Amino acid sequence: MNRSDRLLVGQFIERESILHRLDPRIKLISLLMLMVVIMMLDHRSGYVAATIAVVVILLVSRIPVLFYLRGLLPLLPVLLLTLLYHAMLGKGQTILASYGFLQVTVEGIEEGIRIVWRILLMILPASALTGTTRPLVLAQGLETLLKPLSKLRVPVEQFSLMVVIAIRFIPTILEEIQRIGLAKRARGFEPSSRNPLSRLSEFIPILVPLLVSTARRADHLTLAIEARAYGDGRGRTVYRPLCLTKLDLAAGLLMLLSLSALLVLDDYLPHI
Amino acid sequence: MLVFDQVGYYYLRNQEVLKDVSFTIEKGEFISIVGGNGSGKSTLAKLMNGLLPAKKGSVRLGEKTMADPKQARGIRQAVGLVFQNPEDQFITTNVTDEIIFGLENIAVPANEIGERVRSALQAVRLESYADSAPHELSGGQKQRAAVAAVIAMQPQFIVFDEATSMLDPEGRSELIKLMRDFHQQGITVVQITHHMDEVLASRRVLLLDQGTLAFDGSPDRFFRETPLEQYGLEQPFAVRIGQLLGWTGETAADWKGRVASQWSIG
Amino acid sequence: MVNRIKKTVIEQQSGWELRDVCVKLDGTPVLKHIDLTLEPGTWTALIGKTGAGKSTLARLFKGLIPEFTGEYRLEGQSMARDRKGRARVVPEIGFVFQYPEHQIFETTVEKELSFALRMRGDSSKEIAAAIRTLLPTFGLSEELLQQSPLLLSGGQKRRLAIASVLIANPRLLILDEPTAALDPVSRRELLKLLRDWQRNGLQHEQRAVLFISHRMEDVAEYSDRVALLHEGRLLTHDTADELFLHRSELLSQAGMPLPEAIELLRLTEQLSGRALNPASCREADVLERVKEAWNARKETGGPSDEPF
Repeated sequence: MNRSDRLLVGQFIERESILHRLDPRIKLISLLMLMVVIMMLDHRSGYVAATIAVVVILLVSRIPVLFYLRGLLPLLPVLLLTLLYHAMLGKGQTILASYGFLQVTVEGIEEGIRIVWRILLMILPASALTGTTRPLVLAQGLETLLKPLSKLRVPVEQFSLMVVIAIRFIPTILEEIQRIGLAKRARGFEPSSRNPLSRLSEFIPILVPLLVSTARRADHLTLAIEARAYGDGRGRTVYRPLCLTKLDLAAGLLMLLSLSALLVLDDYLPHI
Repeated sequence: MLVFDQVGYYYLRNQEVLKDVSFTIEKGEFISIVGGNGSGKSTLAKLMNGLLPAKKGSVRLGEKTMADPKQARGIRQAVGLVFQNPEDQFITTNVTDEIIFGLENIAVPANEIGERVRSALQAVRLESYADSAPHELSGGQKQRAAVAAVIAMQPQFIVFDEATSMLDPEGRSELIKLMRDFHQQGITVVQITHHMDEVLASRRVLLLDQGTLAFDGSPDRFFRETPLEQYGLEQPFAVRIGQLLGWTGETAADWKGRVASQWSIG
Repeated sequence: MVNRIKKTVIEQQSGWELRDVCVKLDGTPVLKHIDLTLEPGTWTALIGKTGAGKSTLARLFKGLIPEFTGEYRLEGQSMARDRKGRARVVPEIGFVFQYPEHQIFETTVEKELSFALRMRGDSSKEIAAAIRTLLPTFGLSEELLQQSPLLLSGGQKRRLAIASVLIANPRLLILDEPTAALDPVSRRELLKLLRDWQRNGLQHEQRAVLFISHRMEDVAEYSDRVALLHEGRLLTHDTADELFLHRSELLSQAGMPLPEAIELLRLTEQLSGRALNPASCREADVLERVKEAWNARKETGGPSDEPF
């Protein structure tokens, strides 16, 4: 089963691009900084400039934009809900319509759009990160960055292995959900209920076997990991050690400059 | 050699899963372990490489005792374990990384890892699948990847815990061939199985009956003396027709090869 | 009155008929021009290498494949489709997936068993009666009814999962490798249970089975007919006797092994120089002929000189 036609969260897509060649640590730190900056933006000019920056990142990744968009599909309901929530329950002044205690306000809609926009600005670069970085390499980068924490007895190595395993099992679990759903339908299950409460209870026939099998999987995995002498994850040799190249330093510098410019633009030229 | 000395194990007190089990496995043997459901087979497999510590008695590998946590890495390297479910023992995202994982764990120097990966892929005939992700592989291929990951660590013993039971006939015969190859190369092979033809192909059978060792001997004697149905087992075809047609001599797993010669024995 | 008789006659005569059916998954053709009819009251085995299309074909019968070309007629009528032309799930067909114990989700054994019946609206009286009839057949005791299914043993879970499909009394039961990973004795017991269930269908409510399996020994032992798939095409659909005894070269063509008893039969025929003609492809009949031939050679003292 080939799922490489959709950029699911965590799915690595093999391409030749600058982003693919960058050290994962640079990418991780850049993503973090980008997310922080996006949270700090207040004005439309900042959002627009940030959008341009994100689009540039997506283009540089050489992964078709269509892939990114398709990857967003599962999130549409959440985004829509967020927008509606703010539109109808926000504290706006200019009322457009009202249904009881629900008031659709202009300010509410604006706030909703802003928040959804922000979410997208953060998710898309994250997809670019996982799309251009092999899971094991990503985990390695995480581990190296978090190394100082191990002095405080934080199990950094095991955490990074967890990340790899989580990513590795996404396709497997998705397939399993499909299979369980199919089995449900095969036993006469009709998913057309209108009552929201029973729609919720419709998840149980999928959730229960899914949880049981995931717990069993985790058990098996633990044994397999132990059996191959993982121990506590320390004292392992590294086959492909990470090393920073000039490209990485240049990219890091470019990121710093762009983000600073972004903040300046946002503060001093707010309404372009 | 692997020595089980009066080994006992329980998950819950008063519910012993293994009782007073003693046997020795010498280097280079090819052993089958059989038993009904709940006989303790899987527990036994996990005791063989120290995944579980013996609660009574001791398990020793040569000089090393499994009880010593400092020896764990050495023991896990020396005794490899291949499990039943091909999906749930594939940890990383492609075959090559999967093999590298174990080698990094036992601190193989980085400049040796490449060669070990190459020869492991060759040994299991997965060279063209080196970069494949697990969801692109069949059950048999995933299982061979697991075997590659184990064999790269250069173990002396390999334990196959029902490793063929979830495979289709093609996958199963591929794995059986690998077991035979490894045995010929001098690796000790221990297979836990309920496939009687696999048992017949081994040299020694250990039968577990509700946690105790109920038989330790040759497959031939095993099939002649044991009330197989009691343990959820049945006679392999080779044994049945041997009895039906009055074949002489020791039962061979490869009955097809012996048909002609048995026919000419009047 | 006449209409009712007519309907019964039609139901009795018609099975599940595929005419020139093709299926594409993710753009790749998986089933090509399949013409296959499953007759009521028949145990049909579906065999072929992994990837030949068996699971897809089985799911097609059940209505789990939304898009396909060609025709699928059940009970004399074309299969129901929804507004977009996609296939509808067929309720009268029971489908047991591989490792069915992995789909159990209810909190008690009783609820798990009755799920399909509750979905179709049976009364609690009918449900209780159905459960009572089914329990002993499957070796599950009444005490287990209120227990959590997760506490059952592996074998019990599988039987529970299968029972909860059978309880709806399907006219066609599809089994996708029901004996996967079972030990020899459990495997034999389960197959016997299923064969008995199939045979016990009433005169006007015959039960058909579509049995996917890799074990040729089981196929030869239990099947009335065999459908052989190879790379998405139906190589043949014969009686089991015909396929295993007279057309076994088709099996090699499809990359399938022969049952061991049949291989022994062939080797014995070669050595004795004559055809042995067992009464059926069932192991007992095959081995009976083989034994006769081997006993006979003691008298002639060696391979026969007669032409084959």
